[in-house]
Amino acid sequence: MIGKGKIIITYAIFLSCVCFSFTSFGQRTQIRGFMDVLTGFQDDKVSFTLGEQDLFITSELSDRFSFLGESVFKFTPGTPTTFSVSIERAIVKYNFMGNHNLLIGKHHTPINYWNDTYHHGRVLFPTIYRPLLFEADIIPLHTTGVSLQGQNLGNLKFGYDVMVGNGLGSDDVLDNDKRKSITAAVHIKPAEGLRIGFSWYNDEMAAGSRTHDGKLITWNVQQNLFSPSIAYFGNKIEVLAESTLATNHTDTTGSKQTFAGYIYAGLKIKERLVPYIRFDRLHFQEGEILFDKNNTTSIVGGIRYNINYLTVVKLEYQHEQTELDKNINKLTFQIAVGF
Amino acid sequence: MKGHRAPWFTVCRKYFPVLLLLGAGFMTRAQDMQLTAIGNVTGVPSAMKSSELLSVLKGEKQRWSDGTKVTIYIMKTTTPVGQSTCKKIYNWSGDKVKRYWLELAFSGKADAPTFCNTVEELESYVSQNPGAIGIVDRNSTSNGVKMILIDGKNPF
Repeated sequence: MIGKGKIIITYAIFLSCVCFSFTSFGQRTQIRGFMDVLTGFQDDKVSFTLGEQDLFITSELSDRFSFLGESVFKFTPGTPTTFSVSIERAIVKYNFMGNHNLLIGKHHTPINYWNDTYHHGRVLFPTIYRPLLFEADIIPLHTTGVSLQGQNLGNLKFGYDVMVGNGLGSDDVLDNDKRKSITAAVHIKPAEGLRIGFSWYNDEMAAGSRTHDGKLITWNVQQNLFSPSIAYFGNKIEVLAESTLATNHTDTTGSKQTFAGYIYAGLKIKERLVPYIRFDRLHFQEGEILFDKNNTTSIVGGIRYNINYLTVVKLEYQHEQTELDKNINKLTFQIAVGF
Repeated sequence: MKGHRAPWFTVCRKYFPVLLLLGAGFMTRAQDMQLTAIGNVTGVPSAMKSSELLSVLKGEKQRWSDGTKVTIYIMKTTTPVGQSTCKKIYNWSGDKVKRYWLELAFSGKADAPTFCNTVEELESYVSQNPGAIGIVDRNSTSNGVKMILIDGKNPF
C-alpha cells in the first residue's frame, strides 16, 4: 500500500509540474498544420491524390530557449496502413546574443531559400510541386546536427548559417562514419522583398553506405555543393531562381559535375491572383555515380489564387522531358490549406 | 410589377446611402486612425524611428539593447486598430501580414506575435511582459507601460 501511495504522490507531483509548465508557457505554444489535396489529369485519366498532412509546433520554453517541431503524415506504399509518420524537424534553439542563435536537432539544411522557407508548407509554395532540384535528391534536404545562425545584421540584413551534422548515408540517431557534413550559408536582404544568398555544403560518403533513396554506394565519395540563390517577392512581381553545382569526386572516376536549377516567375495581376511559370533543368555529367543520371527539363505554367492566407488553390500544367523515361504532360489542381 | 417588389428591397434601397456613408466612414477611420506605440518599462526604448519600429514589428530584432527579449503584440487584423496597423506601419493588407508571420514562424526564424482582441488585453500583455511592444489607438495609463515616440511623435 505504501508503494502504491508513493506512486500516486509521485504522479500527482508530476502532473502538477506538467500543469504548472502548461500554464506558464502554454500561451506561447502554437500548434499549426498544413495539408493539401490534388486532382490530376495524366495519361488520359483523372486521379485524386491526398497530399501530406503536416503538423507544426513552436514553443517558447524560456526567455532564451525555444522549440520547433514538424511531423508529416504521408502516403507510403508497402507499410501496413499505407501511411507513415516522419519527423521532419525537431529543433531546440538557444538565443545566446542579439540575433545570434545556437540550434541543435534535425534541421532543414539551410542550403537555399526554398528548403529553408517552405519545405512542407504547401500553402506557402508558389507552385504545386517542389522544383526538380529537390525531387532528384541532389541536395540534402535534412541534416541532424548543430548550427550557429545569425540574421538581420546591419543595414544589409546579413544572415549566416554554419552547420555541422551527420553526413550523407547517416540517419537521425547515428552517423555512419567519422566525417561530419559542413554547411556554410550567407545571405543579404538589401531591399524589401529581396534576398540574395549563397551556400557551400561539404561531405564525404563512406563506401558501403546508402543514399537517401536506398542506393548502395561502393566508393568513397567526396561531395561539394555550391548553391547561389536569389528571391524577390514584391508587390507586383515574384522571382525565385536557385541552382546547385554539385561536384562528386571518387578516386576511380575523378570529379563529376552536376548542375540543377530552376527559375520561377509570377506576376500579381491582383493581390490574390498570380499567374506563374517555372523552368527546371537537371544536367548530369557522363560517368556520374552518386546521382541517377537522368537529364531532365521541365516547364510549368499555372495560376494561383489565394482565397485567404490559409487557403490557396492552384491550377498547373507541367511538361517534363527526361533522358530515361517518357515525356510527362499533366494538369493538376490543388487546394492547400493551413489550420 | 413595381408593386410586387419585396419589402427587403425597398428597405435596402431606402437606407443604401446611409449604409454607404457608414461603410466609407469605417474604412476611412481604419486607414487614418492615429496609432500609439507602447512598450513595457523594461527593455523597450522611449523613442525610435518609424523604420526601426517596422523592423521590430517584422521580427527582425530578437533583443533590445539591454538584452531583454522582444515580444510583439498587435491587434487582430479584423479590428479597426489592427487594420490601421497593417496599413500604416506594414503598408500591407491584413492577410499579407498574417501570411508573412506564418512564413517566418514556419521557417523558425522568429516567434509570431500575439494578436489581441481588445486594446485592454494588449495593454495588459505589454504591462506584464518585459521587452513587450504593442500598437494601440490611445494613450495608455496602465502601470508598467510607457509611450514610445516614433519619429518624435506619439500618436503618429
